[in-house]
Amino acid sequence: MGEKIVIQPVTRIEGHAKITIQLNDAGNVENSWVNVIELRGFEKFCIGKPVEELPRIVTSICGVCPWSHHLASAKACDAVFGVEIPSAGKKLRELCNSIAYTEEHILHFYFLAGSDFVIGPDADYSIRNVIGIARKMPDVAKRVVRCRWLGAQMLEIVSGKSIHPVTAVPGGFSKPLRKDEVERLKPMAREVLDLAQFTMDYAKKNIFPQYLNVVKTLGVIQTGFLATVKNDGALELYNGILRMMTPDGKYEDFTYDRYTDYIAEHVEPWSYLKFPYMKKAGGFSMDLNNPVGIYRTNTLARINVCDKISTPLAQIELEEFRKNFGRPAQLTLLYHWARLIELLHNAERAVELLNGPEITSIDIRKLVVPRAARGVGCVEAPRGTLIHDYETDSNGIVTNVNLIVGTTHNNAPINMSVKKAAMQVIKDGEYDEGILNRIEMAIRAYDPCMSCATHDIDGTLPVKINIVDKKMNVIGTLKNF
Amino acid sequence: MCLGVPLRLIETKGETGTAEMGGIKMRVNLSFVENPKPGDYAIVHAGFAITIMDERSAEETMDVIRRCIDMGDEGREK
Repeated sequence: MGEKIVIQPVTRIEGHAKITIQLNDAGNVENSWVNVIELRGFEKFCIGKPVEELPRIVTSICGVCPWSHHLASAKACDAVFGVEIPSAGKKLRELCNSIAYTEEHILHFYFLAGSDFVIGPDADYSIRNVIGIARKMPDVAKRVVRCRWLGAQMLEIVSGKSIHPVTAVPGGFSKPLRKDEVERLKPMAREVLDLAQFTMDYAKKNIFPQYLNVVKTLGVIQTGFLATVKNDGALELYNGILRMMTPDGKYEDFTYDRYTDYIAEHVEPWSYLKFPYMKKAGGFSMDLNNPVGIYRTNTLARINVCDKISTPLAQIELEEFRKNFGRPAQLTLLYHWARLIELLHNAERAVELLNGPEITSIDIRKLVVPRAARGVGCVEAPRGTLIHDYETDSNGIVTNVNLIVGTTHNNAPINMSVKKAAMQVIKDGEYDEGILNRIEMAIRAYDPCMSCATHDIDGTLPVKINIVDKKMNVIGTLKNF
Repeated sequence: MCLGVPLRLIETKGETGTAEMGGIKMRVNLSFVENPKPGDYAIVHAGFAITIMDERSAEETMDVIRRCIDMGDEGREK
């Protein structure tokens, strides 16, 4: 028992994307399977606990995007208690969310995905990494590191802790922001916005045009999209309504508590992770030529489903993006471009919130009273729509919990994009280690949760590919770690 | 849900170091944390130490993770 306890988290740290590619007799791709790692058991762990403890507990296990879970959990608690939190409390929560987003997106673009582009997708692994970027753009690398540091400092000022936050509580926010703190935060937020603007300009001039052919072909699939919008259709990350868009661009909006009317879960015998799909499609199929019920979440989904963006610089970028790629844009590697639009929006939004009159209000929390109820809290986490669904008894004790996290929504599309990428790079039984790069890129666009815990220092997403024949005999193995 | 597993730093050399959990060692980049030193616990994201935490917090986190894993495994056995 003790041995099991110690080893299992470690195997997750050391985990890698496990991919199996099946070839037909002609040596071309017949099928593929991607196993995404997920921690199970959290829902069960929560049952029997006072619901107000969940926003604090959830961050202790997801230390990587703790703010997303913290806020989704706090919102589920608000709904359970039936409380509408004060406007200033919402703004403090949103400020933390915006700052956390800028940290995440900067790291992902420069040090995870950026290495595919800044150094080049076909470059050798020994230089296609963080160190390669630091050598190629030393001044930018310094700014990136500084802005990550600034993000952590800002979250500490607003909430007392940058990681394992505790300040979003049922009913609001527990720590008001002082005027002197706001004055310290403003130049920091401005500096992050400067980097966001620089990054977008740099990428549009020097990165995306150079790799447009890769963007237009790698892992491209046709799907629907799910994300949050405001009531007026604008991009929203903290609080709004959900919008499910079909591949033809039509959509339906619905409130969080109705997610089970729109999302069903398919089970495959080879994966512990479920495959959510559009319930109204009436079925589920990952057939590349005729997919049924498949939708995607995360950056590209959010940029596709929104009608507009409330901050001016990001709105300009949205218009340009749409002019180039239409709506909904389907090219998988456009997740990176969409990520930079979101980076800009969040950096702008943080500056905007800090300049708003309400941000130093002390009316930030309402008292709550336990009751038997169900509450659904939802935020857009950097990796996709994050749903926390709780039920409590009359004493506020948790009786049921259901979570759907960003990577789970993208389970089917990740599998499909990998299959598509494999079909493009394996022909007539011919393949080499170069396919690792391409398949890694197809997975990384989705920024799945496994990329958090399993990357090595050089930003590589560890990938192991087993090539099998029709009888599932392994005929080749490739790995990049 | 992904995990923020705390690792114990066992060696630091400038901006890089080695961290360990349960006997498994990995290289980590320390650029984002201030004054990391051997014995500290760090949450590592994509190879980067993104925060330093004390031993008590690290133990609390590992305790929750272990209990979740046990409960997940119980579910599977059923």
